[in-house]
Formats: sequence, C-alpha cells, structure tokens
Amino acid sequence: MVEDRRKAGIRLSALQVVIAAFFSVLSVSFWVLQVVQHQQYNELAENNHQRTLALRAPRGLVFDREGRVMVENRQSYSISIVREHTKDLGRTIRVLAAVLGLDESGVRSIVERHRRDPSYQPITIIQDASLAQVAAVTARRLDFELPDVVVQPTPTRRYPETMAAHLFGYVGEVNDAQVAGDGTLKSGDITGQSGIEKTYNAFLMGEDGAKRVVVNSVGREIRTLEEAPFTEGKRLQLTVDYDVQKAIEDGFDSIGLNGAAVVLDPADGGVLGFTSRPAYDPNAFASGIDRATWASLTADRDKPLNDRAIQGRYAPGSTFKMAVALAGLEEGIITPDFHVYCPGHANFYGRDFKCWRFNRGGHGSIDLRHAIQQSCDVYFYTIANMIGVDKINKWATALGMGVMSGIDLPNEAQGLVPSTEWKREKLHEKWYAGETISVGIGQGAVTTTPVSMAVYMATLANGGTRVTPHLLRAVDDGSGWKPVPTPGPKSRVQIDPEKLQAIRDGMWMAVNEPGGTGGAARIPGHEVAGKTGTAQVISNQGKAAAGKTEKDLRDNGWFVFFAPRDNPQIAGVVFLEHGVHGGNAALVVHHILETFFAKKDGKPLPPKPTLVANLNPSMG
Amino acid sequence: MFERRLYYHIDWALVAAILALCGIGVVMIYSTTSDPTRAASHLWATQLYAIALGLIAMAVTLSVDYRAFTDKSHLIYIALIAVLVYVMFFGTVQMGARRWISLKLVNVQPSEFAKVGVALVLAKFYGENRGAPQWTDLAIGAALTLLPLALIAKEPDLGTAVVLLPVFVAIAFLAGMRLRILGVLFLALILAAPVAWMFALRPYQKTRISTFLDPSREARGAGYQQIQARITVGSGGLTGKGFRKGTQGQLRFLPVAHNDFIFSVLAEEQGFAGVLVALGLYLFVILRALEAARLAKDRLGSYLVLGVLASFSFQVIYNITMSAGLAPVKGLTLPLMSYGGSSMIATLAGFGLVLNVRMRRFTN
Repeated sequence: MVEDRRKAGIRLSALQVVIAAFFSVLSVSFWVLQVVQHQQYNELAENNHQRTLALRAPRGLVFDREGRVMVENRQSYSISIVREHTKDLGRTIRVLAAVLGLDESGVRSIVERHRRDPSYQPITIIQDASLAQVAAVTARRLDFELPDVVVQPTPTRRYPETMAAHLFGYVGEVNDAQVAGDGTLKSGDITGQSGIEKTYNAFLMGEDGAKRVVVNSVGREIRTLEEAPFTEGKRLQLTVDYDVQKAIEDGFDSIGLNGAAVVLDPADGGVLGFTSRPAYDPNAFASGIDRATWASLTADRDKPLNDRAIQGRYAPGSTFKMAVALAGLEEGIITPDFHVYCPGHANFYGRDFKCWRFNRGGHGSIDLRHAIQQSCDVYFYTIANMIGVDKINKWATALGMGVMSGIDLPNEAQGLVPSTEWKREKLHEKWYAGETISVGIGQGAVTTTPVSMAVYMATLANGGTRVTPHLLRAVDDGSGWKPVPTPGPKSRVQIDPEKLQAIRDGMWMAVNEPGGTGGAARIPGHEVAGKTGTAQVISNQGKAAAGKTEKDLRDNGWFVFFAPRDNPQIAGVVFLEHGVHGGNAALVVHHILETFFAKKDGKPLPPKPTLVANLNPSMG
Repeated sequence: MFERRLYYHIDWALVAAILALCGIGVVMIYSTTSDPTRAASHLWATQLYAIALGLIAMAVTLSVDYRAFTDKSHLIYIALIAVLVYVMFFGTVQMGARRWISLKLVNVQPSEFAKVGVALVLAKFYGENRGAPQWTDLAIGAALTLLPLALIAKEPDLGTAVVLLPVFVAIAFLAGMRLRILGVLFLALILAAPVAWMFALRPYQKTRISTFLDPSREARGAGYQQIQARITVGSGGLTGKGFRKGTQGQLRFLPVAHNDFIFSVLAEEQGFAGVLVALGLYLFVILRALEAARLAKDRLGSYLVLGVLASFSFQVIYNITMSAGLAPVKGLTLPLMSYGGSSMIATLAGFGLVLNVRMRRFTN
C-alpha cells in the first residue's frame, strides 16, 4: 500500500515534468513565431488583407460644336486575374473559363500575353462582363475557389448613336508596340486605336488612380487605407455639328449605298460632318472586341474598317473639271467665253474620245459656264490639251487635290494628280500629250480622296485658301473650355474674282438651271453650287474584257458642292461607291443642305429622307 | 452531505485561475464575433450563460462526495452509452456531423460529457483493483474506453473521440501499469497508424494530415487554415495588435476564430505577452490539479482527478499547438476558452470533481 503510494507519487512527478516540458516547448515555439519571425509573418498578414486596386479613369467625353454629347462612358464590370494571389494559375484559368463560359485557350492566351507584367497588376479577362458572369465569379470567390480573380468597376466607352464611326474611331487595349513606343502607356491600358480616339488619345485618356484597401478573407473591401483618385480624361468639343452629321448618316442609310462624305466650314476647314460607309459599331470595340466580330469585320469584302473618306482613292471624274477650268483661266489660256463645238466626240492624237452625251449628238457650241453646267467632256478634253498636264497639276494641287489634307485623323492617304515629273520619277517614262486628254475629265491617272475633294470645294468657296480640315474645337481639362487654335491654311493662291465667278456660275447653273446635272441638290431660296461626277472604276475596254466578274464594276458617283454661291458657309463632297451617277450623290447632298439651311433659318429640320437611287447606267 | 467546513478547503486559487481563463475566452469571443454587422454577434453572452451553467454544474459535482459519483459510475456510463447511441440515430446534423441532441433552446453535445463519464468509470474500475493492473484489467479498461470512443468517432468527431484515449492511458499509468506494457501500447499505436491510414481514415482526415506535413501543397484548401494560423500568431508580435485590431481574426482569414482558433486570436491581438499569461494560467491549472491527485486521500480520488485532467491537458496542449499552425487541424476546441456550451459545462463539472477530491482529502 505504502509502496503503491510511493510509486504513484513518482509517476505523478513524471507527469508534472512531462506537462512542464510541453508548456516550455510551446512557449519557445510561440516566441520563435511571434518574436523571432514576427517580421516575416507580419508582411504575410498585411499582404493578406491589403490590396491595391486600380481606379480606372474614364476617358474624356466628346461633344459636338453645340455641346451635345457624342461619346460618353458607361459603368461596366471587368473581370481580371491577379496572379499575386494565385497558387495554381492553370486551375484558375480552367475554373474561370468554365464559370464565364469562355474558351479556355482564349483565356490562357490572354494571360500568356501579360506573362511579363508585374504579378500585382490585374490581367483583364473580360472588359464588360454580364451580370450573370459577375455573379458567377463573386459566388466562387466566397468559396475560396477563385480568390485571385477580381471584379472591378470599369468605365467603358459608349457611342450612343452609331454614327461617324471612323471619325470617332475606337478604343482597345494597348499592344506591345504601343507600350514600347509611348512611355505613358502601360500594359492593360485602354487607348485610342483609330479616329480621334487615337489622334487625341493624350487628351482623352485620363490618369488612373489607385486605392489601398483592407479586404476580408473573401476579398470584400472593408475600408480604404489610402486613395489616389483618378483624373478624368479631358473633354473635347468637336467642330462637328450633330444635325449635319445626322443628316449625312440618314442620307446614306436612306440611299443604301457605300461611300463617304466630308462637309466643311469653308472659312476655316472645321469639319461639320464626316462619314465613311460601310461603318462598324465602335461599341463593339469598347469592351474588347470578340474574335468572331473582328474576323467578320476584317474578312468583309466591303472593308468596313477602311476609312474611305481619308483613305479611299478614287478617280474624281467630272468633279475635276473646275480645277482644269481654273488652270485654263488663271494661266490665260482660255476666257469664260471660250467656246468649243461638241459633236459628241472628238479626236485627239489619233484616238477618238467620247462625250457622255455622245448618243444625243453632243452639246453643240458651248462656253465654259455651260460646259461646267452640262459637264461637257469634249470641252474639257480640248482645253486640257491646250493647258497641258503640268499646269493642271499646279492648279489642282493649289486647290487641295493630290496632296494630304492634313486632317487630324490617323492614316490619311494621298491622292494623285499626274505631272510629267511624276511620270518620269515614278514610272521612268515620258508623259504623252494624249494622256492629258483623260486627265481633263478627271480620269486616267487622277485619283483623289473624298476629304481632299472637300478641301477643293472649300478652296473654291473661300477664294483660294487651302484650309486644313480639322475636328477639334476646344478642350476642357476641368477648368472650363479652352478654344484650340485653328490650324493654319496649307497654302493660298490669288484667284481673279471674275474668273472664279465663272466657275461658281457654272456650278450654280449645274444645280439651278435646266439642263444641269445636279438639279437634285437644289434648295429653293439658297444658291447651291455643285457638280456631279461619274467616274469609271475600270476603263470601257477593261470593262468589256472583264466580262462577268464577281467584282462590282459599276461607276462611282460624286457630288461636290458649296453654298450659298456668293458667300459660302458650307462646302463638301458626297461620294457613292458604285453609285452609278453623280446625281444619286446629289440626292444625299440635298438632304444635308436642306438640314443645314433649315437650321440656319431657324426652321424645323427636315425628316429622315426617303432617297431612291437611280442605278440605271444608260442615263447620262 | 455538504459540511460547512469543507467550504474552507475549496482550492480557491484553482477556481480563480479557471475563471480567469474563462474570462479571457469571453473577451476573445467578443473580439472576434461582436461585429454588429454580422448575425452571430451575441456569442459572448451565450458563453457567459454557459459559464454560469458550468459553475452550477461545478457546485453540484463538488458538493456530493466523489465516491457517491464513482459508486454510481456504472449507471452513468450506461446512460452515456445510451445517449451516444441515441445521437447516432436521432442526433442533429450540423456541418456534416451528427453530434448534437437538440433540446428546445440549446443543442447538447453528449460527447463532451463522455470524457467525465469515462474518467469516473475508469477511476472506479482501477480504484477497486489493488496492485498493478494486469493484462485483463487493461483489456477491460481499454474496452470501456473504446466503446464510447467508437460511437463518437462514428458521428464523426474523431477529435473528441481521440481525447478519451489519454483518460485511459493516464489512469492506467498511475494505477501502476508496467512501463513495458505502455511501450508495447505505443508501438502498437505506431504500427496501427499506416493501417488506419489505409482503412479507417476518411479522405478529409487524410488530407488534413498530409497537408500538415506540407501546408503549401494545398494553400487554399486544408493547408489554408494552418498557414493562416501561423500568420495570425506570427503577426501578433511581442505585444499584439490590440483588442479587436487583429486583422487575421477580424477579417476572417482564420476560420472559426472564436472556436478552434481562439488561441490564435489571443496571440494576434495580445501578442507573446498575452500568450505567456494564458499558457501560465493553463500550466497552473494543470499542475494544481495534479497536486490534487497527489493529495487525494484514496487511489480512487487521484485516479478520478487524473482522468479528468488527462483529456483536459491533452486538449489544451493539442489545441494550442494547432493554433500556432504546428499540428494538423482537427476540430478540437480549447477547454475553458473556446466558444461552446457543452464543452464549458462538462469541463467545469470535471473540475468540480477535482476540487471535490482535494477538499475531501481529510474526510472519511
């Protein structure tokens, strides 16, 4: 009994020692964790509950010249992966793709593209997530399934009306070349990729802010530690007039043809309206364009991404005749009274050239004004032959053709007005006098862009100043609108007012007098001056040789104009691809001018028109 | 039954230490759950009720001579088994385990009371046996332990079930079980481990253990809690982040912070200093209770004290180790501090028995 008692006492002592040992080990362990390794664990704890979130700056709003919103932003949600918090990237991609209903390889390639970004920088997988996608991701964050995926409010570009797509352009994520070329851009930024979004990106792009927040275990923000607010992009006011722009779009919608239009204020080159058709929906790009839409845009034979207004080069046809006329007048080779007899065709250098009125016996004896009014080809063959290609080149250039207009849009193309020098330099060949004949009616080697045709009209309208077309009127960086200086003219020529008047008269007669080709553009009470142009896409011989091909070989239609004749306030061009006749373009111009003058006169704007194009080639 | 002079023999120091630990527990529960934006913001009050009930239970278990309890221990044991069987079929399921009996207002977790029940029955069994227990004695003691253990493990609540083992081992050890047999038992346990791994453990239990060996392997799954526990403790530093200022517990990076991981929260908010205080209190409670076992007037008394103490100490040491991320995560609470009514009442009732044995050391 006593022995038992003694033995039990020893065993109790042993237990005491064991317990004390356990507690000593525990104390030391806590000391190591809490004192020795404190620094390291403290960092981990902070990393756990603190996050830096980017505050996306909205891009600047864009207004028309009267302050109407043309481009704005809407709030959307982007879904991104922050690799900083990722343990298994492959798994995250797999789960996220399944949750979002995306193609896994697509998600992987997005992540792959940003492989070298710092791991704290979110990689945006979806710019504009649907509510269902946001909900699906948020639910899985709660389950710790996708803790490295963040859903962030992101301002997304919105183009309320699909108009002037090529003018506004579109935005998209910067590519590597853009990041390399511009120090202010970083991977993942949204930047302008075309149109004014690109030209004025530096204005429009705001400065992203950031905030450091405390988040709980499921990533919910508890409170903000510090916040650097974003700076909204600067607001832009354009020279564009919404009503004119709308008239252009309505006109094209109604006539149902592709083409382009540029309408300017002839006094300073401010663009009142601008379009290229077919267009695209810039909204499709605003939240990252999907592959299918992009593929269909690039594969489209009509090339909707091309900006025909500044990149399309077309033979100007008869619209070129005023340039030839001005060259003849100013070089002293003809006077407005110079008459030519048109039997319907004429022979130059052993080749027969037809007038468009060949079938109806020509125009007879005709002077300059009527030759412009009725677009007599023989008259212009004759005087072009007298003037020579180099003098035509000189005056066409002075009027804005064959050179860049300098409009503030990216990737403008340059048209061509041939000269002997051009042919020698480019083709290493001599210019043949016979080639000048076609140039006289804006065919042959002559090509122009619609924007340069608008400059041409503005120059005729303002008496010789080749204005620079431009879109930006004022900028507001938050402290009020500050006007932007108008870009100076590209060149200026002295034109004898009387000679100029003869040309203006001819254009006025084309619209306002019987026998003119542009009667469709007539606006009672307003002296519209204009000129049709019908330009071959392919020569008559070529047309015969081509036979039945898939390609549309119908002629292009032009209408160039300014108004009113003696104190022009508007000048421009409508170009219809395969529009067959300039007269069809005049229909669109009519609606534009009717709108413009109704507004000037304080009258109600005309309703959306119903334009019916005459696509019968036999008409003159 | 309760003689007035016994009152003066109550070990008030032990009671004070126990109450201090309960107090720290309530404060920590308040810290982690009182956020008014959350639903369960009154857990600290519930815990206070549990402590009050526990103190009543303690008063009951210390006022009746412990021999009266051990005399009826076979009945208590049978009742316990009956209740555990009842739980198995009619218990309330919470979080995938059938552990609770639903009374009108509260859920009772009978497995918590099994610890005391087994301590009573084993104390009685070995207290009646004179001399070192032989193989048959050990086998009977083991069987008495394993029956409720199996029932609890089936719930499943492996954590609480395993806690019964130290009760048996400690009492048998004190009863004079030969050390060779103890060695054989340990060897058997080690050999049984791979077999258990293959056949007995559930997948989530396996994951917990393999994750313990390499927490980074599943940093978002089972290893998550362990990593977070270590971060929680480590980031506390010497003096802690301050009351209700712990980021890990407050922002719920640490799951069940008011329950299994309450000690981590203490370490985070009160730092190493707070840890030392709590560890000191626990050590004092355990050593003081061992003292009671030494002072007990009969073997029955010291076995009973040790039986109660064995499960308590095992749970305290395991939970604190786990809360520092140094042991596999098991649903094992920290007695006296963790939130939980059944555990609190059962623990305080157990300590009532410890006080009982000590204060009756001079009576006959």
